[in-house]
Amino acid sequence: MDSLPEDQYEVVVENVKKSYDGKKLALDGISFHIKKGEIYGLLGKNGAGKSTTIKILTTLINFDSGTCNIAGYDLRKDSSKIRKIIGVVQQEESFDFTTVENNFKLAGMLWEVPKNIREERMEKLIDLFGLQEIRKKRMYDLSGGQKKRVQVAREFMHEMKVLFLDEPTVGLDPIMRRKILQYIREQAKNGLTILFTTQNLEEADMICDRIGIIDGGKIVEEGTSEELKLKFGTLRTVKITTQTNVEKYMNEIKERIKTVNYEDISFDENKILILGKNVDRKVGDVIGSLYEMGIEVENVSIENPTLDDVFMRVVER
Amino acid sequence: MRMPAFVRLTIRNIVVNIDPGTLIFMLGLPTLYLFVMGFMFQGINPNGGLVVQYHGIAIKYTTFLAPGIIALQAFTAGNIGGSMLWSDRRWGMFEQIMVGPFRRSEYLLGIIFVSIIFSLVGSAIMIGFALTIPVRFNITPAGIGLFILTMVVGTMLFSSIFLIISGIAKSMQAYNTITILLFFLLDFASTAFYPITNSTPGWLHVIAGGNPLSFISDILRESFISGVDYNSLYYSGILFIAMLIFFVLSLRVYKNIRSGI
Ligand SMILES: Nc1ncnc2c1ncn2[C@@H]1O[C@H](COP(=O)(O)OP(=O)(O)OP(=O)(O)O)[C@@H](O)[C@H]1O
Ligand SMILES: [Mg+2]
Repeated sequence: MDSLPEDQYEVVVENVKKSYDGKKLALDGISFHIKKGEIYGLLGKNGAGKSTTIKILTTLINFDSGTCNIAGYDLRKDSSKIRKIIGVVQQEESFDFTTVENNFKLAGMLWEVPKNIREERMEKLIDLFGLQEIRKKRMYDLSGGQKKRVQVAREFMHEMKVLFLDEPTVGLDPIMRRKILQYIREQAKNGLTILFTTQNLEEADMICDRIGIIDGGKIVEEGTSEELKLKFGTLRTVKITTQTNVEKYMNEIKERIKTVNYEDISFDENKILILGKNVDRKVGDVIGSLYEMGIEVENVSIENPTLDDVFMRVVER
Repeated sequence: MRMPAFVRLTIRNIVVNIDPGTLIFMLGLPTLYLFVMGFMFQGINPNGGLVVQYHGIAIKYTTFLAPGIIALQAFTAGNIGGSMLWSDRRWGMFEQIMVGPFRRSEYLLGIIFVSIIFSLVGSAIMIGFALTIPVRFNITPAGIGLFILTMVVGTMLFSSIFLIISGIAKSMQAYNTITILLFFLLDFASTAFYPITNSTPGWLHVIAGGNPLSFISDILRESFISGVDYNSLYYSGILFIAMLIFFVLSLRVYKNIRSGI
């Protein structure tokens, strides 16, 4: 965990416990901190406690013990102040039973956005989220993905300091997904703090500054995507293609790159396959050694572990 | 100028709920009752029309019916208002509003206000229609005052009843079944359409007599036809107490919908 002083964090969650029925704990002492302008990804299996965490932080449900602080406000004391500075896209669908446009207008009105800004913002969001053709349609005539788009876009009608997104990209096509993620990324660059949950690890890898893996109602691993991969990534393979047949230099090469700490190495005509933890970070040494021996390298490829590998290892250990 | 939160919520409720379906339910149905029933029942006695004995005076059935139809607006508006909670829960907007810059009480006020607005506008339109029939109303300041008060109290009573149903219903089916049953029971076993007379069976007498819609219909008849007297105030008092009881009950149900902070 970072060592910033408490007040540098926009969201502070400390040892929060929550049980719905008084027996089973949905949250079992969850703790995490989010810096201002950071996108924090909460990853976890079904039932891990992601939505429960978001419902608590957005003042929708109570928690049993622990402390939560959002933008300097204590969740227990200042819930109504917190509600004025957050945005929430819930996992469940939510919309006003009227047209797409009215959903935007009403959101702007409810949040007291001045009328001229309201119109301008609505036009921008309708464009950005590809809603131009359906803007006059009623919400219940839309497809699932279209509804979701309106739901996410609508939340950007108002200003906020912290945004909670509970699986906002479920059901979106890849193009729209990318667009929305890009837009979210931009907002964070402008200082918006975001808590983001997803089942899509590729997506988390793409946009989250830090990731917390939640399991059984608590954070079991935390770090940047790179840190997590380093810690839990499976063995990596470095594939080097050279201009000469390397099989006859096998022993000499092995000797020269001993420091790489590989777990396995194999030679196949002009190809070398090196397998091991973190071997990708030693590629430079390997190429250097080959060069010293007068072997020209034609191509190097590294097979990276994905966040999926990390996730599998963490939640299934 | 800043608009209070409950006013913003009221505006939102009006925008969301002004759709053809609601308008037909709120205005179309009672208009049909007023004209179709009014004129058709007149035909029961082809010579001179149907006459009802009311407080010892003989009045045309259309004149008798009109205040009942106006009273129906309290029921309809209360139904529409209370059902908003159901539909907001159903479509995820209750939670969305609860994570926004609002308090629970403001959400509730938004619903009560929209019900009262619908009820007053609806009943004003019905009075307008009734006067074209024409009916013989004796409009006095006291009558208008009592009419407005009764509509407000009556609407709050019915909103509370529907808020309770919206708060406890678990499924769409349950919700629809209960509201349709209530609709038929309260509408037709009441004095909105017909008077209670000596020939009314005892059990129906009890149901119709205890039905809040009957109270509202009768108070409105006094407001518009026979004049406000001690009796009308007595009935208004009972209506008011019934409203308070249901309102408190609905608050309890409402508070327990989700254990918010
Ligand atoms: N309203 C509720 N009443 C009782 N138990 C609940 C309720 N909501 C959630 N739970 C339980 O709390 C635990 C955490 O649920 P939560 O919805 O937070 O999971 P999640 O991580 O969001 O899962 P998903 O990926 O499926 O959305 C689960 O065991 C779930 O069964
Ligand atoms: Mg969830």
